[in-house]
Amino acid sequence: MTFYFAIIGTKDNPIYETEFGTSKQGGDGHARFPDEQRPMNQFILHSALDIVEEVQWVQKELYLKTVDRFNNLLVSCFLTAGNIKFLLLHDSKAEDPIRQFFADVHEAYVKTLMNPFYEVDMRITSTVFDSKVRAAAKKYL
Amino acid sequence: MSSTKAARIGEEVWKTRIDKVNAELVTLTYGSIVAQLCKDYEGDYMEVNKQLDKMGYNIGLRLIEDFLAKTNTGRCINFRDTAETISKIGFKVFLNITPTVTNWATDNKQFSLVFEENPLADFVELPDDGRAQNELWYSNILCGVLRGALEMVQMQVDAHFTSDVLRGNETTEMRVSLIRIIDDELPPGDD
Amino acid sequence: MPIYSFYIFDRHCECIYVKQWLERERNSLRPTTSSGASIINSPLSGAPDKRISAGTIADQSLRTAPGRLSVQDDAKLVFGVVFSLRNMVRKLSGPEDNFVSYRTGSYKLHYYETATNLKFVMLTDVKMSNLRVVLHQIYVNLYVEYVTKNPLSPVEHPGGEGVAVELFELGLDRFVQTIQEA
Repeated sequence: MTFYFAIIGTKDNPIYETEFGTSKQGGDGHARFPDEQRPMNQFILHSALDIVEEVQWVQKELYLKTVDRFNNLLVSCFLTAGNIKFLLLHDSKAEDPIRQFFADVHEAYVKTLMNPFYEVDMRITSTVFDSKVRAAAKKYL
Repeated sequence: MSSTKAARIGEEVWKTRIDKVNAELVTLTYGSIVAQLCKDYEGDYMEVNKQLDKMGYNIGLRLIEDFLAKTNTGRCINFRDTAETISKIGFKVFLNITPTVTNWATDNKQFSLVFEENPLADFVELPDDGRAQNELWYSNILCGVLRGALEMVQMQVDAHFTSDVLRGNETTEMRVSLIRIIDDELPPGDD
Repeated sequence: MPIYSFYIFDRHCECIYVKQWLERERNSLRPTTSSGASIINSPLSGAPDKRISAGTIADQSLRTAPGRLSVQDDAKLVFGVVFSLRNMVRKLSGPEDNFVSYRTGSYKLHYYETATNLKFVMLTDVKMSNLRVVLHQIYVNLYVEYVTKNPLSPVEHPGGEGVAVELFELGLDRFVQTIQEA
């Protein structure tokens, strides 16, 4: 089970992206996308943005669950109050762990926002944020 | 006054006579000041440090009167007393933190304040442009505040940071040195 | 019991606030205020004027119309007295002591100094009890609140600018009224 996670800003610009594999059930945490798949991941996620924008005005909650499918891959989305989209590309259907993962990442994102030197839509380059996201991934996914 | 007595006064004044404000509001306000200064001076972090010090100086000139009014403390007997008052009452009353006084010089004219927590720098990460980490003292306003406040009570001091956790050091430490005691001014025409 | 006047002197030996309440002939309080300071050229009055000031300050301010000069002269006289007394007290009993008040045949002068060398002086009737606490209250509740915390009022007063904060003056008036009624 592998995952590709990206944060998209208000102007559809990518702010942060990473990939990881599951740490549960014997997985070693490394991503296992087939090599030719890798460049596709970004496209898949970005094409899901249109669907997200449609769905976001219909639904009341911020966690939009699964919004799109591509072959056997699913795209789940979490929306922040500032219209920043957390997108997760995954091949399993476990909803609850993904929801908890998003909650943790959201918390880390809010802390990044509190940094006065960080502006909205800036790329997140902080290693602290990166390690927090990986820790959340290890915990829940 | 002794350290415990100062701590007790600080705690009591903090509990009873101070209006409280949301800490995150202070953190965000101060953060936006520093971020805007960095933008305005386009990365000249030495100049930003200087401006923060100046702002702190103006704050300190007035803050000392508020401090004396609220805590009703008299003049300090010596510089050691001053250090205890600053750390146990001053910082407690205004920021609800108690930095530790350490590293006294042999002539009793210099000491260090070590900050375990710094509410001004919560959630802050210095920008990654290579120079901020070496040149910017994020909480430099505090140095100016001490300088201004002590000048109004006849002490000329120099205060500067020697280490900062935001820069990757282990502790946040400020070094305060007494330069001289300012004499009372005589009216013009007298000797 | 009437309060005759009130002065604030800053750490640079300048008068930054004066308020005089004149009574007697007119039966109402007619306050005259000036926030002015020292004239740097004229010499400061020292010992010789003390004899004059001890007893005729109130008369002096009555007889002459309250023009700028006499109010400023008053302030300088008062400051001279207070400064010399303070230094003498310090020399006699150590740097921690301060004189509290003195009384003459016509008036009583109350004195309070802060750690920042800000001096509050009040001249009242002879029978008034010690007003040191009152001066402390004026400092804590009026001066610090309305003057120090006002970002537009200067901390240093170069060239004679004084305290010119309306809220401070109103508060002071009200406060003094309550003291006089008590």
